[in-house]
Amino acid sequence: MPIETMFQMLLEGFLVSLQIFGFTLVGAVPLGVLVALLRMSRLAPVRLITRVYISVMRGTPLMLQMFAIYFAPYYVFGIQLTPDSKWYATIVAFIVNYAAYFAEIYRSGIQSIPRGQYEAAEVLGYTRVQTFFVIILPQVVKRILPAMGNEVITLVKDTSLAFSIGVAEMFSTAKALVASQVSMVPFAIAAAFYWVFNFLVEIILSALEKRLAYYHD
Amino acid sequence: MTQTTNPVVTLTGACKAFGSHQVLLDVSLSVAPGEVVAIIGPSGGGKSTLLRCLTLLETLDAGTLSYGDLVAAQSNGGRIAYASTPTLKQVRSRFGLVFQNYNLFPHLTVMQNITDAPVRVQRRPRDEVEAKARDLIAEMGLKGCEDKVPCQLSGGQQQRVSIARALAMNPEVLYFDEPTSALDPELTAEVLRVIKDLAAQNMTMVVVTHEMGFAREVAQRVIFLDGGTIVEEGPATQVIDHPREARTQAFLSRLAD
Repeated sequence: MPIETMFQMLLEGFLVSLQIFGFTLVGAVPLGVLVALLRMSRLAPVRLITRVYISVMRGTPLMLQMFAIYFAPYYVFGIQLTPDSKWYATIVAFIVNYAAYFAEIYRSGIQSIPRGQYEAAEVLGYTRVQTFFVIILPQVVKRILPAMGNEVITLVKDTSLAFSIGVAEMFSTAKALVASQVSMVPFAIAAAFYWVFNFLVEIILSALEKRLAYYHD
Repeated sequence: MTQTTNPVVTLTGACKAFGSHQVLLDVSLSVAPGEVVAIIGPSGGGKSTLLRCLTLLETLDAGTLSYGDLVAAQSNGGRIAYASTPTLKQVRSRFGLVFQNYNLFPHLTVMQNITDAPVRVQRRPRDEVEAKARDLIAEMGLKGCEDKVPCQLSGGQQQRVSIARALAMNPEVLYFDEPTSALDPELTAEVLRVIKDLAAQNMTMVVVTHEMGFAREVAQRVIFLDGGTIVEEGPATQVIDHPREARTQAFLSRLAD
C-alpha cells in the first residue's frame, strides 16, 4: 500500500479523534464549572456526593468508564444497543471524566482568589452570580491556564482510548494498518499527527497566556 | 459632639463574638452628615470588626443598625434580624468602604474598576458614570491612569483608585479601614491629603487609623476602642492630647515611644 493511502486513511481516523476531542472540551469545560461549584457547595451532602463522583472518575480507568456507560443502558434499563451507542458512550464517558479533572483545577483557581476580592464585590453590591462571573472567573482563567494546558494535551492523546470500545478513531486505524501491512510506518504517522496537533494546542495556549499577561496580581 | 437629628448611620448596642471571644460589647455609634470620625485603639480592640459590621461584611450578634430610614439589622427578643436582600442592597449603596490593601480588581482597568459597579449594580447610565469617574480620577490626581491596570500603579495610586471606586457609588458615608497601613510614609501623605480634601468637601467619613496627627487634624470626633468597648470618645484634641481614661493614656503613650 502506498504511503499516501495510509496517510489518507489515518487522516480520516484523525478527524474522528478530533471530534472526540472537540465534543469533550465543549461538554467538559462548562460542566466542570458546575461540578467545581457543587464541590464547594454550602450543603454538606452536595459536597459529599460531588467528592464521590470526582473520586470515582479519577480513581477508575477511563476505558472502564466507557464500557460501563456503553453497557449500562442495556443491563440497567434493558435498552437495545445500536451501532451508534459506542460513539455516544465514548463522548459521554470522556465528558464526565474530564469534567471531574477540570472541576478540581477550577476549584484550585477559585480558592486561590483572595477573600478581599469577594469582600470588595460584596460592599459594592454585586450579587453572588455577578461576583463570580465578573470578578472571580476572569481571574481564575488566568491562574488555571497552565494546568488546563496539561489536561487538554492529555485529552488529545486519550482519544486513542476509544479504540478499546471499537470507535474507529486514528489509533484503531493505525493498529489495523500495522497488522495488515506488516509495517510500523502507520504508528509513526499516527505519532506525528498527535504531536503536530499538540504543538498547535501549545501555540494556542501560549497565545492565550500572552493575552492575559496584561496584568499580574 | 456634633449630633444632629438625622444621622447618616446609627448603630446601637452592637455585640459580636467569635466563638467565646467577645470582640464587640454594647458598642453604639452615630455619625452625623459631614462629620469625620476617627476610630483609634490597639490591634484586636475591635476596630476592624466594628467597621466590618457597619459594612455588613460581618453579621452582628445583637444590636440595631440603620442607615437613615433604612433599618439593616434589628435585635428583638435576643435574636437579631437582618433586612431582606433588596433592602440590604439599598443599604449597601449608602456606604462605601476603602480597604487597607485596596482590593482593587486586578484584571480591570482603573476606569473599569470605578465604573463597573455603578453601571452594573446601580444600573446608572454609562455616560453619566464615566463622566463622574473622570471627575474623580482628576480629583484623585490620577489623570492619565484611566486605562492602566492596578499592578501598573504605586500603592498610593491604587489606594486613591479605591477611594474613587467607593465615591463613584455616591455613598452617604465612606469608611476607611486603616487606609495607609500598607503604604510608605510619602505615599501615606498623598492618600491622607485626598482624605483631607474630602473632609473639606463635607464628606461624611469614619476612619480607622493609627495616624494620630491625621486624626487630630481631620476628625471632629475620636473614638478610642479597646477590649470591644468604647473606652473614651470626644473631640479629637481632647481624646488625643488630653485623654481622661487610663487605657487611652497608656495606648497613646505607647504610640509616642
